[in-house]
Amino acid sequence: MDRQQEFVLRTIEERDVRFVRLWFTDVVGSLKSVALAPAEVEGAFEEGLGFDGSSIEGLARVFESDMLAQPDPSTFQILPWRGETEQTSRMFCDVLTPDGQPSAADPRNVLKRALAKAADMGFTCYTHPEIEFYLLKSTELGPDGAPVPVDEGGYFDHVPGGVAQDFRRTAVTMLESVGISVEFSHHEAGPGQNEIDLRYADALQTADNIMTFRTVIKEVALMQGTYATFMPKPFTAHPGSGMHTHFSLFEGDTNAFYEAGAEFQLSKTAKQFIAGILRHAPEFTAVTNQFVNSYKRLWGGGEAPSYLSWGHNNRSALVRVPLYKPGKGQSARIEYRGIDSAANPYLAYAVLLGAGLKGIEEGYDLPSAAEEDIWSLTSAERRAMGHDPLPSSLHDAIRIMEDSDLMAEILGEQVFEHFLRNKRQEWQDYRLEVTPFELQRHFGIL
Amino acid sequence: MSLQRQLIAIGFGDLDKSTRFLAAPELAGLDEDRLFEGLALAANPDLALQSLVRLIEKHPALHELAGAGTERSEPMFRLLGASEALAEFLMRHPQHIEVLAQRGTPEPRGADPAELRASLLRSVGADPAARRPVAAATGPEAYAALRTQYRRHLTELAIKDLCAASPVDFLPTAAAELADLAGAALEAALAVSRAELAAKEDPETVQSVRFTVIGMGKCGARELNYISDVDVIYVIEAPGLEEATAVRLGSALATGLSRAISAPGREPGLWEVDANLRPEGKDGPLVRTLESHLTYYKRWAASWEFQALLKARTVAGDAELGARYETAVAPMIWSSSEREGFVESVQAMRRRVTDYIPPNEEGRQIKLGVGGLRDVEFTVQLLQLVHAKADESLRCRDTTSAIAALSGQGYIGRSDAQELDRAYRYLRVLEHRIQLVQMRRTHLMPVAETALRALAKSSAGPMSAARPSAEALLENWQRTKRRVRELHESIFYRPLLNTAAHLSAEDVKLTPEAAQGRLAALGYRDPQGAIRHIEALTGGVSRRAALQRQLLPILLGWLADGVDPDAGLLGFRRISEALGTTHWYLGMLRDSKAAAERLCHVLSSSRLITDLLEVSPEATAWLGTDKDLTPLKFEAQWQEIRSKMSRHENPEAAMRLIRLIRRRETLRIAIADSSGLLDQDAVGAALADADQAAILGALHVAENIVRGDGELLAEVLVVAMGRQGGREIGYGSDADVLYVYRAKAGAEDTDARRQAEQIVARLSVLLTQPLKPAILNERVLTLDADLRPEGKSGAMVRSLDSYREYYQRWSLVWEAQALLRARPIAGSNELAEDFIRLIEPVRYPEHLEDKDVREVRRIKARVEAERLPRGADPARHLKLGRGAISDVEWLVQLLQLQHGRRHEELRTTSTVAALHACAGLGLIDRADAELLLEAWHLASRIRSANVIWSGKSSDLLPAKRRDLEAVARWCGYQPGQAAVIEEDYLRLTRRSRGVFERLFYGHA
Repeated sequence: MDRQQEFVLRTIEERDVRFVRLWFTDVVGSLKSVALAPAEVEGAFEEGLGFDGSSIEGLARVFESDMLAQPDPSTFQILPWRGETEQTSRMFCDVLTPDGQPSAADPRNVLKRALAKAADMGFTCYTHPEIEFYLLKSTELGPDGAPVPVDEGGYFDHVPGGVAQDFRRTAVTMLESVGISVEFSHHEAGPGQNEIDLRYADALQTADNIMTFRTVIKEVALMQGTYATFMPKPFTAHPGSGMHTHFSLFEGDTNAFYEAGAEFQLSKTAKQFIAGILRHAPEFTAVTNQFVNSYKRLWGGGEAPSYLSWGHNNRSALVRVPLYKPGKGQSARIEYRGIDSAANPYLAYAVLLGAGLKGIEEGYDLPSAAEEDIWSLTSAERRAMGHDPLPSSLHDAIRIMEDSDLMAEILGEQVFEHFLRNKRQEWQDYRLEVTPFELQRHFGIL
Repeated sequence: MSLQRQLIAIGFGDLDKSTRFLAAPELAGLDEDRLFEGLALAANPDLALQSLVRLIEKHPALHELAGAGTERSEPMFRLLGASEALAEFLMRHPQHIEVLAQRGTPEPRGADPAELRASLLRSVGADPAARRPVAAATGPEAYAALRTQYRRHLTELAIKDLCAASPVDFLPTAAAELADLAGAALEAALAVSRAELAAKEDPETVQSVRFTVIGMGKCGARELNYISDVDVIYVIEAPGLEEATAVRLGSALATGLSRAISAPGREPGLWEVDANLRPEGKDGPLVRTLESHLTYYKRWAASWEFQALLKARTVAGDAELGARYETAVAPMIWSSSEREGFVESVQAMRRRVTDYIPPNEEGRQIKLGVGGLRDVEFTVQLLQLVHAKADESLRCRDTTSAIAALSGQGYIGRSDAQELDRAYRYLRVLEHRIQLVQMRRTHLMPVAETALRALAKSSAGPMSAARPSAEALLENWQRTKRRVRELHESIFYRPLLNTAAHLSAEDVKLTPEAAQGRLAALGYRDPQGAIRHIEALTGGVSRRAALQRQLLPILLGWLADGVDPDAGLLGFRRISEALGTTHWYLGMLRDSKAAAERLCHVLSSSRLITDLLEVSPEATAWLGTDKDLTPLKFEAQWQEIRSKMSRHENPEAAMRLIRLIRRRETLRIAIADSSGLLDQDAVGAALADADQAAILGALHVAENIVRGDGELLAEVLVVAMGRQGGREIGYGSDADVLYVYRAKAGAEDTDARRQAEQIVARLSVLLTQPLKPAILNERVLTLDADLRPEGKSGAMVRSLDSYREYYQRWSLVWEAQALLRARPIAGSNELAEDFIRLIEPVRYPEHLEDKDVREVRRIKARVEAERLPRGADPARHLKLGRGAISDVEWLVQLLQLQHGRRHEELRTTSTVAALHACAGLGLIDRADAELLLEAWHLASRIRSANVIWSGKSSDLLPAKRRDLEAVARWCGYQPGQAAVIEEDYLRLTRRSRGVFERLFYGHA
């Protein structure tokens, strides 16, 4: 047993931890949790915890359902919202096949593979997400059939005595207590909409943090008698919830995106990385925007970027190169604005990183930056300037992804297959649904 | 003697140039004989002459030494002929020219490490007696002084080395002195660094930091090369300081030290100081406290890091702190063989040793590759790691001492140890001599003839009078490499035998525990069982046991390369017990290395072949010659069957012989397959031929039985369908068939029909019924007639007329499709021709109606939905899965139905041939066709591999890692690529499915 494992066991003893939860993620990004009694933890370290993977989305082949969850002791954390007595803790797990090999279907492993590829090219990848979500009165819908937000505030609004402010304070404190550093938090444009930015960290840790973050936010809302949702577009009339993410690549301790004196201080590497993302964005949109509802956000106006474009501090572009203070070359980065808050962070980061690396590998050329507001252009203008649209529906996105060898390579054949199967099923189910829209528009007159 | 001939006799290469140099004014007045005598000693006389002329130009005083006779001048000539770099050093530093006056001795001794340390410390003005010496000089001045003094000592060593009577004897001493000299340089560099840091920081604080340089790798083991990166790890301790401050100061000291050694300067840097073996590698902090080192090793370190620590030794700085470090890490090194993943890391390491050589260095590498220096070092270290846990006397760092200790304690045989030691020293001497010339870090054999001749001379030492030729050198080197390779086996495995066989071996004694530990480290999962097999194989006084004692060490190594060494060893034992006394078997094992290696390979990777060899051990003989592994042609098999039938009237006896022939041929094909003699297409065809011969034989036997004493009323024809029709079957495939009969002239059709039905029924039974004595491990040939008209409800056998009528009136498109692969395989030739003539218009219709195309597509779609076994993952089903065998075949068949009438080349029963034809005709894009072929081949190959590996048929891509590993190897992948073949298969079939959907269903 190594020291890290010993530390976990000792903490369990000393802090009177009664439950240990093992966390892992299925292919669509739902958090899965198995509870263990403290006495079973030692065995789980040694041999992994056996579980039936066939009931977990995309995790196991039907005929080979026995899987092992191998807890990663370095992710051990007491869960603060469970109170001081009879404490509960969690560890993230790697999913292994029965013979102890990393499971090809484990999303965490997909991201690990992508990061290993980056490491082979000499890069470490850092990310920093800005996560938006809505705070609602409850899970009940209002009389108009829409969810009911907790307030009517807008962007950066300080809502006096606001539920949201109180909420953010508690949430931020709790996030800090599970070791997640928060950069920034504020009220977003929609009523009840909030944004919390996490401090940058390496991509795997960020993805773990996002999974924890979603749980913490949901728990805090529950404690306060409200409900938090990461649904990409809960309101027709208000902006959707995105998860803009900043990416940077480092070579050793140098920022590989920075080049003094170049246009926008962007190095060749950064330009090729952006070019890779733009070229392959239609192929990975099914991953970064994985639900039927995601496309309501992408095409619902607001600030959502829906055309392939990049720009320097251009808020209408899909990829934005933020301004940073002169002399801060180390903070050079690019921001991808397409991801929504309900994406599986492991897979979303893996495909974005993979697409960017492909751009570097193949030396893609970057089209020129968009300076104008892309939303204000006519569609003919956009076409003329090469700003092609992202897929317009989950169905389109699936069709494009199906033909992408790059996505199969990044995700691995098995995740690629499971993911598409799951998404086809979702589209199929959606298509069969008679929606309120149809009833409202046609029922009365037909 | 002419000057030219004299020059040639001395060993000059470039006569013109040397003649010019000999005329140089610097040499005027020298006694020519004495000069020539001296040059004759030089490894490279051309080089020696040029350097001499240039040196005299700078230091006229040397003129006297050059002409003083070899008694005094030998060291100088030897040095100048062996090292251009050191000659240049002397040109740069006239004050050290006196070193050339040093006398060479045949048996030199190593310099005292303390003296080297003192000398280098004094060169930078530091006091050797001080507890933490601080240099008086700093900056470029100090660097130059240190480096110059280092090179002075290096030159002294080179002279001793070159004059030593036996370079291989002196090698360990030279290597140790090189490490001591490097340590002394590090010590002096540390003193300089301390002085530099003291100028910037509080001197007392700087002085309070205890700083130790731990040498790793060859420096740590005191077996350094002339030039090489020096691997180090830094340990600090500063009781009075905060850790952050201590680490900051320590890092500054380390950086300064490295600067003093290797920064560019007037006197060039010595070598790279490489600290990348430190905890966390190049991402980790440069220096750590002892505490922090230990924390890392206890919590995080990987298996290989402990193996690296085996060489760790304090080489400079605070000795007491270094001693504590060594004491603390030692237990971790020696218990590392118990850590998880040890076996895997050993295997990976071994692959790294032998696998990767850049293509342009192939054939020139002295260090890497099979039989290279690394190989020796790996062997020795592995044995140390396995056995030193229990036996502390093995805990030494350098290779030559470790070999001696292993031999002394009986872990390897004495003569093996001697040979290994000699080989290692020889290779090291080559490496040293090559590096000495330019002081470049190289491990490559030179290419130029002159350089090779010089190397031959300098590596042989002064005692060899003749100049060895370049060929002799290369030959000797190759022989040494081969010998190292062979020694590998006998060193690892021979001692195991002595233990197992309870031999009172003269010099080797392993305890049973040690023997098991060693087997486990080499990949045997059940070492106790393995020991039992070895006992059984080698015990006793029979000739067989004696021979096996001799051979088994090598065989055990080959078996360990397979996926399942334990099963391989068991199989070997069984075969050996069955064949033990046959003279050819022992002879083959003894004389044919290739055969023995093949045997081990199949036994440890194939259940199918092992099972068959067990029941027909005589087939082991085929392993010896490729000729015996050529599959018998159908005609030859039929010839044999016919002659057997004529001698055995009894149907049961005849049938037994026929089925034995088929089993024998299957085995022959499997072994040929495993030896890489057949590709997948050839395997399919050969297996199809063997089945055809058996069916034909059985048909004759059935006819004889049914006829009894009466007349034969009907001719019967067996038509192969499906993959048998295409000669593309796998091991143990069923044969799809149709039966046709025709009444003989004058016979009543009803009678003929009844007789045909009897013959057909009997035929099937003959091939499958159990026989006495039983045919062990036979994969029975089942005939399947489900593709006949009207399927299962149709008549088993029809007359030619009935077929004609049926196809004219009722035929469905799926039947036409099935007929595409119809190929008569047994029965009358005329009937076969008539049948083919009959079906030709059916299978190659004038025009395929749209509704028929739709129908083919519809059936395929339904098959996809229904035929896949419940719960099977379509992506992994090799036959019916997406983009797999059936997809490719249906697409080809649809095109054959559509275009076969117009294009002769499409009229073939073979999928591969038809697919090529489709591409040739432009019916399928060339790239698409390649992709389909590749997917079809890989899926077929994996199906075959499933049977070969496990002895059981399976239509699934294996899920268990070990099965996948075995299958991957049968498909030509390197070891350790189970995950790769899985990914490759899934990718290939996903793409081929894309092509299939586009072309077959017409999906855009």
